[in-house]
Amino acid sequence: MTGPYATTIIVVSLLLAGWAGVLLLVNRPPGRVLWLALGLLEVLMLGFLVGGVVQMLGSDRDFARLEFVLYLLGCAAIVPVAAWWVRDEASRAAAGVLLVVLLVLPVMVVRVQQVWAGPVG
Amino acid sequence: MAESTPAVNRGFGRVLVVIYGIFALAATARSAVQIATRFDEAPVAYLLSALAAVIYIVATVALARGDRTSRRVATIAITIELVGVLVVGVASLAFPAEFPRASVWSAFGRGYLFIPLVLPLVGLWWLRRTSAGAPAQ
Repeated sequence: MTGPYATTIIVVSLLLAGWAGVLLLVNRPPGRVLWLALGLLEVLMLGFLVGGVVQMLGSDRDFARLEFVLYLLGCAAIVPVAAWWVRDEASRAAAGVLLVVLLVLPVMVVRVQQVWAGPVG
Repeated sequence: MAESTPAVNRGFGRVLVVIYGIFALAATARSAVQIATRFDEAPVAYLLSALAAVIYIVATVALARGDRTSRRVATIAITIELVGVLVVGVASLAFPAEFPRASVWSAFGRGYLFIPLVLPLVGLWWLRRTSAGAPAQ
């Protein structure tokens, strides 16, 4: 749950957040390349969800499993839901929405790791 | 065409709805887990989390819909949110024993970068700013 895969997600998300932030500043909506990149990020998130659940089922440690699964589901859902919400917003507000989501996503991934690592807290 | 008063759910409103949506999701999931697994530890804080969750959900949906009735609902929900974060913020500092576990609004939302304190102010400002732009249909 920790390790290079999660780190990759965090780095990719922050890079795309920077991209969205630039679009916000220069007053442009997200273009095709950014949407493609978001699609790739979502593939990573689905892998994170599946991998997380598999690891959880293979572990008999005591940790907050309900929270863990909810966070994984949230992580996998947040990008597609945001994309749907701005599907017909042709202004920089779409970039603003993506910026928010791409900044929240790394925080959620860190929370997943904390829940995985730590006792109920 | 002339976007002097944008619709409440367009432009910046899109971003506002997403932030509200994230808080609705976070507060709902958090309070569901708290109430389901360890309600006895801090019933007051956990019930307040649940209340906050409901208010965030109502505000999110109302802001996203953006018609006349929804605007009124959003205004009421966000006003309650503002009162809630102020009252809970003061109460959690004045009576910390009642809040052994954090709720979303404890200490004015310090655990969430004080966004819970700023968000209702921004929400009310945006509703006011767009009040002339309410769709006529």
